[in-house]
Amino acid sequence: MSVKERDPLTGHETTGHEWDGITELNTRVPRAVWFFVAVTHIWALVYWVLMPSWPLVTTYWKGLLGYDQAIVVEEQVAKAYRDIEVWRAPLGELSATEIREIPELMAHVERTAPTLFGDNCAACHGTDLSGAPGYPSLIDEAWLWGNDTDTILETLRVGINAPHPDTRFAQMLAFGETDILSVPEIRTVVDYVQSLSGLDPDVPAERLEQGQAIFADNCTSCHGDNARGIQDLGAPNLTDDAWVYGGDDATMFKTIHDGRQGWMPAWEDRLTEADRMMLTLYIQDRAAEAQP
Amino acid sequence: MMERLTVAERQQAMLITAVLALAGLILAIAGRNDPMGVHGWMTLFFAGGLFFVVGNALYAAEPTEDRTTSYYDDPTKVGILLSLFWAVVAMGMGVWVAAQLAWPDLRFDAAWSSFGRIRPVHTSGVIFGFGGNALIATSYHVMQRTSRARLAGHVSPWFVLLGFNLFCIIAASGYLMGITQSKEYAEPEWYADIWLVIVWVSYFVLYMRTLARRNEPHIYVANWYYMAFILVVAMLHIVNNLAVPASFSAAKSYSAFSGVQDAMTQWWYGHNAVAFFLTSGFLGMLYYFLPKRAERPIYSYRLSILSFWGIVFFYIWAGSHHLHYTAVPQWVQTLGMTFSVMLLVPSWASAGNALMTLNGAWGKVRDDATLRFMMVAAVFYGLSTFEGSFMAVRAVNSLSHYTDWTVGHVHAGAMGWVALITFGSIYALVPILWRRESMYSWKLVEWHFWLALIGTVIYVFAMWNSGIIQGLMWRTYTESGTLAYSFTDSLVAMHPYYVARTIGGAFFLTGAIIGAFNVIMTIRRVRQDTHELDYPTKSEAGEPAVPVAE
Amino acid sequence: MLRKILKPFSKFFEFHARTHYRAERHSMGLTIGIIAAAAVGGFVEIAPLFSIDDTVEADPNMRVYTPLEQAGRDIYIREGCYACHSQMIRTLRDEVDRYGPYSLAVESQYDHPMLWGSKRTGPDLARVGEKFSDEWQVQHLADPRSLVPESVMPQYAFLLNTSLETASLPGRLAALRTVGVPYTDEQVANAADDARGQAIPDSDRAYAVEERYGEATNIRFFDGRRDRLTEMDALVAYLQILGGLSDLPRNMQIPEGD
Ligand code: HEC
Ligand code: HEC
Ligand code: HEC
Ligand code: HEM
Ligand code: HEM
Ligand SMILES: [Ca+2]
Ligand SMILES: [Ca+2]
Ligand SMILES: [Cu+2]
Repeated sequence: MSVKERDPLTGHETTGHEWDGITELNTRVPRAVWFFVAVTHIWALVYWVLMPSWPLVTTYWKGLLGYDQAIVVEEQVAKAYRDIEVWRAPLGELSATEIREIPELMAHVERTAPTLFGDNCAACHGTDLSGAPGYPSLIDEAWLWGNDTDTILETLRVGINAPHPDTRFAQMLAFGETDILSVPEIRTVVDYVQSLSGLDPDVPAERLEQGQAIFADNCTSCHGDNARGIQDLGAPNLTDDAWVYGGDDATMFKTIHDGRQGWMPAWEDRLTEADRMMLTLYIQDRAAEAQP
Repeated sequence: MMERLTVAERQQAMLITAVLALAGLILAIAGRNDPMGVHGWMTLFFAGGLFFVVGNALYAAEPTEDRTTSYYDDPTKVGILLSLFWAVVAMGMGVWVAAQLAWPDLRFDAAWSSFGRIRPVHTSGVIFGFGGNALIATSYHVMQRTSRARLAGHVSPWFVLLGFNLFCIIAASGYLMGITQSKEYAEPEWYADIWLVIVWVSYFVLYMRTLARRNEPHIYVANWYYMAFILVVAMLHIVNNLAVPASFSAAKSYSAFSGVQDAMTQWWYGHNAVAFFLTSGFLGMLYYFLPKRAERPIYSYRLSILSFWGIVFFYIWAGSHHLHYTAVPQWVQTLGMTFSVMLLVPSWASAGNALMTLNGAWGKVRDDATLRFMMVAAVFYGLSTFEGSFMAVRAVNSLSHYTDWTVGHVHAGAMGWVALITFGSIYALVPILWRRESMYSWKLVEWHFWLALIGTVIYVFAMWNSGIIQGLMWRTYTESGTLAYSFTDSLVAMHPYYVARTIGGAFFLTGAIIGAFNVIMTIRRVRQDTHELDYPTKSEAGEPAVPVAE
Repeated sequence: MLRKILKPFSKFFEFHARTHYRAERHSMGLTIGIIAAAAVGGFVEIAPLFSIDDTVEADPNMRVYTPLEQAGRDIYIREGCYACHSQMIRTLRDEVDRYGPYSLAVESQYDHPMLWGSKRTGPDLARVGEKFSDEWQVQHLADPRSLVPESVMPQYAFLLNTSLETASLPGRLAALRTVGVPYTDEQVANAADDARGQAIPDSDRAYAVEERYGEATNIRFFDGRRDRLTEMDALVAYLQILGGLSDLPRNMQIPEGD
């Protein structure tokens, strides 16, 4: 219909068109809309003038404030670093014992370390530090390299078998794959090693003797004459009930047959020295809690 | 349905399907050592099936009546049914995707069922399958009614509709096989992209030819929006999908752009997929079905103009709000943020125009769940655009980005706005299309409405909570100035919300299933309407003078 | 006052509305109007990213992905890892503290497409390279919850038993070269061999990889399997290079990034 009509409800006239029964009122744009148009446009204009905004062909408007997100974040991080450094500095200078004697400093450590551990270490060693197959527990009594502060700090700095120039090497040879030992020999030595920690007590004495002989010939150089491990080599104690990989037949067979080179990442590039000290303290404290 | 095509048109259809089947065969042979070959076979069967359907009826009786005296609604009907089918499938996928984040082992031990592969089945399924079919179907309906003219052509509407569904099938099945370009909402590979260009150009031509036949001097607002939807989506799709295939016998291709330029192009696309697919098209739907159902004139023609051009112009600039604080230069971020805020005004102008149109019809809103769907959709449209503009502010985005807050915003828009307006329109449309007295059950419409609303609210609230908690946990510092929570801490905190979201989604899905059931029962059980049919009439419109604002 | 401010807007709009009233009778007019209105923004925001030089920092030592790493990247895309993991550390203090130096544009210069992501269901991976061991990556991908009980990440054990398809690698590198990655003829031609070589340390093929891609290339039995080149090899090789293509971020940004 081309007839203009007046809508009785609103009192506004229609535009005079009708599409399939639909008509439109010719109401003016409410003033509030213009108000918000004005507000948003003026705000945008001001923002453009102050901040980096419009592009030109080979450059862009840098803004009167000279704001640059990269510089801003670098300043923020640097400032945060200075603030943290206020309490963090002693971490690099004092020994662990000394640090533990300063409660305020330890409060900082206790607030900080769990997140550091959660974001970097828990993936392997577990949120509760108890490890997983292939990833040692950090709260048991068994230590591959030792749990004194300097050792842990160094382990964290250079990692184990990691792509770091000073990394610690821990090589459990692949006795089966390199044909040093035959499969039956490996099975025999497995039985022997299991007997050391009381895992498999029912092995005939004769077999134990054979196992002991194989062990003496091949393993004592790393795991020590009494199989109690050599921390300088990262070779674990085989007489306790703590296992990195596991003491069951299949796992131990695989360990000896294929060898093991557990890879603990080096954290020198990712974490600061202070961070590593905090983690060390954290690990030691959690371990102490777990071993009363 | 074949009886409304002439023999010549049936032959034309057979030719097209034969060519497509051949293309499928070529794809199948070329890609025999690659998942792409599966798509070749699928195309071959799809086109071959249609070839035989048409061929079977090739010499059946031809239409006798003068076809221009009626509207052509068959493709619309099929489009509505396809839309409902995709709704159930893709929202079902959504619930599964949601459940996997709450219970990650709730899947088959098979590659295809992992989160990363089924998530895009959900997103493409709802956006393109459900939304796209609804848009095509309603656009056919609306453009005929508001132009008082029958569709221009009898083969091309089918080509567009079915061709588009072939694209959707290729997309969804491709993700399950690992075929994806990784570009969000543009994941399908090069051959699917090319096919969509062909379909889309046909769509545009069909639209223009139908408009050209119109019996009404002015083009109605709904059509402006549908046109913007078709045109701009074509532009976005072509540019963002520029890629070089590694080989013509395999699916894999590499984007023409890299790094910063690729990111900007992707989010120019991604954001405007929201703007022109999920907003502009559905505003077209709103502008027709809401006043029609409410039987009220549009509140303001001038507000329509303002918001239409505002949306078309401002939206395009806003894409870089997806890239705040990233390696994209800050000047682009500034433009994205400021335009997003300016965009709020035209967005709210549309929402306001819709709600003001309901003045005088609030009684109907109360009684009629169909109209209530549309009303609530307009409210959610207002809400999600406000939220969007808010999240586009850099400071806010520093918190919300990467979190579930974004997902909450998405679903306020997608469920609250897109899906509700679609369901409302479908309920309004089905009795008209199939000429039924009413829907099978108004009670079920009512049930659907409340399930959908409650589901959306649960979903969105759960995600607001989880998103904000997540964002805050990531940036909370201890008094020592060090991070307070590890990532895993935040992950653990999400679990209850992921459960809640799954429940909300299940409500929404139940509603959609009820809706589909109701539509099918309407078609099968409800009596034919005896009311007079709607048909193209000559407009009596002269040319009223340029109206002056009141 | 307010009225005065608003006046020009409504004046202009009155003109616009009248023009519109005439224009909306022409479908081609609308078409052109829509295209024009919608084209400006994209052009102004995208074109200068190609012409403004300091959009991407210059790093002459920027590495390209080796064929094995690229194959891994393709698997990363195929599996939709980007749906949960971002690779873009934003210029925000907490992100720098958690994930390391913020990401630079140059780092994704050869990423066709970029994989910055839009959702962090899992942590950012931009600098995950060498953060964990190969064994950990393999086990984590095969069964994430065996290492991280809280994880919601899907398991991808099948990667360990799927041989990597290498025949298409020369074609892939050639396509990448077409879009701008500076691979040499030799690198393209030997892509399949190089993919194998990178996963067999101390072999002739491995030496060839080192020659073509540099000493710093990671050459390892990534998946721990010596008998077969698997998709796991490729994916782990890719993950282990993330953050390692360019030294610029670490050199440019203050050392105390972490
Ligand atoms: C990729 C996995 C992984 C990550 C991440 C990891 N570790 Fe380890 N860590 C290991 C493995 C494997 C070993 C044992 C190496 C071996 O078997 O020789 C180990 C050993 C250690 C040891 C030595 C234990 C001993 O008995 O001497 C300490 C201490 C340690 N890790 C602490 C940490 C801390 C602190 C972090 C985080 C900053 C961390 N780890 C992150 C895998 C990891
Ligand atoms: C070259 C030194 C070396 C020799 C020789 C050696 N080991 Fe080891 N062994 C290691 C190291 C280092 C580890 C720890 C590897 C790791 O954690 O990644 C280890 C680990 C083990 C473990 C795993 C312990 C656990 O906690 O799971 C067993 C069992 C073992 N060795 C048994 C043997 C036996 C039996 C022999 C002789 C046949 C032997 N080793 C010879 C160095 C050696
Ligand atoms: C459903 C979401 C999801 C998908 C899909 C997913 N991940 Fe994860 N990812 C996670 C979550 C959650 C974590 C954190 C918990 C953990 O370590 O498992 C994670 C952790 C990781 C980590 C350790 C990062 C760190 O710094 O701790 C890596 C590496 C990783 N994912 C790689 C991948 C790869 C590669 C894929 C694809 C093949 C993938 N993810 C797919 C959710 C996902
Ligand atoms: C049954 C109801 C629905 C459920 C349960 C659901 C669930 C989900 C889930 C779990 C995700 C993944 C979020 C993540 O990665 O964390 C998602 C993403 C998405 N969904 Fe839905 N969804 C539903 C309905 C819809 C509808 C109706 C639409 C659109 C019309 C939609 C559009 C999207 C989009 C666009 C994304 C991607 C969001 C992003 O990348 O930020 N969804 N949905
Ligand atoms: C004024 C209007 C709107 C603005 C300014 C806006 C803004 C935003 C912003 C800032 C984000 C987050 C980007 C990020 O941090 O990654 C976003 C994401 C999103 N929005 Fe909106 N939004 C608007 C309306 C809508 C509507 C109506 C929908 C409808 C369905 C919608 C769908 C989405 C989707 C799907 C995403 C997720 C994109 C992704 O995958 O990351 N938006 N929007
Ligand atoms: Ca695509
Ligand atoms: Ca997303
Ligand atoms: Cu957006």
